[in-house]
Amino acid sequence: MPVKEDLMKLYQIVLKDITRRKKRMLYASLGVVIGVATIIAVLTIALAGETDIYGQLEKYGANLVVMPAISDIDVGLGGLSLGTLAVGENYISENELPQIRQIADGMIREALNIEDEGDIATIAPRLYMNTEIKGTSVIIVGVDPQQERQLKTWWRIRDGEYLERADQALVGAMAADLLELNVGDKIALNGREVTITGILEETGSNEDYQVFLHIKTVQEAFDKEGLVSSIDVRALCSACPTSDIAGSINGNIPGVRAVAVKQIAETEMGMMGKVSKFLLALAGITLAVGCFGVVNTMLTSVHERIRDIGIMRAVGASRNQIIRIFLYEAIIIGVVGGLLGYVVGTLLAYVVGPLIFGGVAVTYVPQYFLPSLALAAFIAVVSTVYPAFRASKIKVADSFRSL
Amino acid sequence: MLEIKNVSKTYGQGTAKVVALSNVSFRVDEGDFIAIMGPSGSGKSTLLNVIGGLDYLSSGEVVLDGKRIDNLDENNLVDIRRNKIAYVFQQYHLLPSLTALENVMLPLIFCGLGKGEEKGLEILKGVGLGGRTEHKPSQLSGGEQQRVAIARALVNSPSLILADEPTGNMDQETGKEILGLFQQLNVDGRSIIMVTHDPDIAQHAKEIIVLQDGQIIDRINQKGGKQ
Repeated sequence: MPVKEDLMKLYQIVLKDITRRKKRMLYASLGVVIGVATIIAVLTIALAGETDIYGQLEKYGANLVVMPAISDIDVGLGGLSLGTLAVGENYISENELPQIRQIADGMIREALNIEDEGDIATIAPRLYMNTEIKGTSVIIVGVDPQQERQLKTWWRIRDGEYLERADQALVGAMAADLLELNVGDKIALNGREVTITGILEETGSNEDYQVFLHIKTVQEAFDKEGLVSSIDVRALCSACPTSDIAGSINGNIPGVRAVAVKQIAETEMGMMGKVSKFLLALAGITLAVGCFGVVNTMLTSVHERIRDIGIMRAVGASRNQIIRIFLYEAIIIGVVGGLLGYVVGTLLAYVVGPLIFGGVAVTYVPQYFLPSLALAAFIAVVSTVYPAFRASKIKVADSFRSL
Repeated sequence: MLEIKNVSKTYGQGTAKVVALSNVSFRVDEGDFIAIMGPSGSGKSTLLNVIGGLDYLSSGEVVLDGKRIDNLDENNLVDIRRNKIAYVFQQYHLLPSLTALENVMLPLIFCGLGKGEEKGLEILKGVGLGGRTEHKPSQLSGGEQQRVAIARALVNSPSLILADEPTGNMDQETGKEILGLFQQLNVDGRSIIMVTHDPDIAQHAKEIIVLQDGQIIDRINQKGGKQ
């Protein structure tokens, strides 16, 4: 028996019948569309979020931040929280810098087998102060210009030059625009005067609103000699043991708290994984409900076509052939549903993704296309098994009598 | 070739029991053309369905070419429908989404004989529809639709054709044409059993069986009669 030919012709019958009943078929595929769309949307958004975190890891992954060890104590009455109270020093002594360098460089050398005796890690101390410029409150940041430049590899100078001397200032893009500051302008700081030497290009972070000065200038102007607010440490590579370095700093230097960016990213990633799993479970339920929709529509379709099925049986169709006709139809419904589901899900991700992960860039994922077709076809076929079985049970005489 | 032995068929149970056929027996030989007549509800269609394995009987036997077919399972009945018995219905029962040619080829497709286009065209030409092969049933007149249905019945070369009021939906002129087609098939050697309530049609058969209340009340042999 030339099975292939037979199959092709059966397929043609199905196609002809479906094109005659486009609306119903579209309705049948709706359950599949909604289920697949939800799953694709969740996966696409999760992937966008993950890509975003990986991107940040690539940028900051080699970093760790050392801050003063401040404990927050909850203040409240009974069960009502009234906020937190910070307890501890707000600054770190500059004297800790050599020891931090020693720990960081030592561990990187060990990890990468480097003999070199020179400085390896970038260690950038910062001192943050709040002050007023032209009557507006501004955060000014005292930095070590050389170390800061090595750390902020993404910094570009829009106007003028990079900060070098103690009497110079570098202004973030938004701060410069808002305060109408230009290169060459002078700013007064507690009786001192600094000249703006450069303006940064926009970076999209809060750096845009800050003014950067030499750390010595800030320390002297605000009476904070020998003190820093935080220390950024950039290891040589993203594979460097930043978590171990953070641990070692925490263990050896009292009064500070070191956190590796990697740890934060991992925590974030873990959180996102949990949320994604939960959403996927919901999407799964949607898909299951969609299945029932397909079962229902197919049963209706069987009922509507009792006469046609009777005719086919009368002219020689076997029960298996009737089942196959319905399963072919299910495959077509599934493929159409998968296609629409992929498109709708991706559009949904474009709309909802930025709302979930604050402005993250969602991109469509071509790798999801074929799996969504396969999933949809599978769901449609599974949902059609019972209706097809019912169809195959129809007796010719009954089918004509019901007219 | 076909023997109907003491066939009875009842629907329902108890007081709602309806007797559709009661102890019906007759023979169909090769080349026979039998018309089954009788008032509505006399069991004509039920008899035809039972003969063709479309419906189960309550008691009795149907023997085709020496083998009982009344107790066959679905798979074996499929073989009989594909090879030995074909049906023509009053409502034509064509698939509305397929063209005339595709409707005719349908039995071949189910048999797994895909390449039946030439055969389908030839048979359509034989029933006088050579020029309307690509038309859908909705674009054809009643007589034309019945010709398609007859062509479909012929495509697998069955030895027995069961026709249930094939001219019932037609005006007399068209009915005569369709009857002529059946007569031609009979001349070509096929056995035909045709249910009808039109005496003008029935008188062209070789034998008339008259049913009433599920029983045969008269048999009229008119072999060599009007043609």
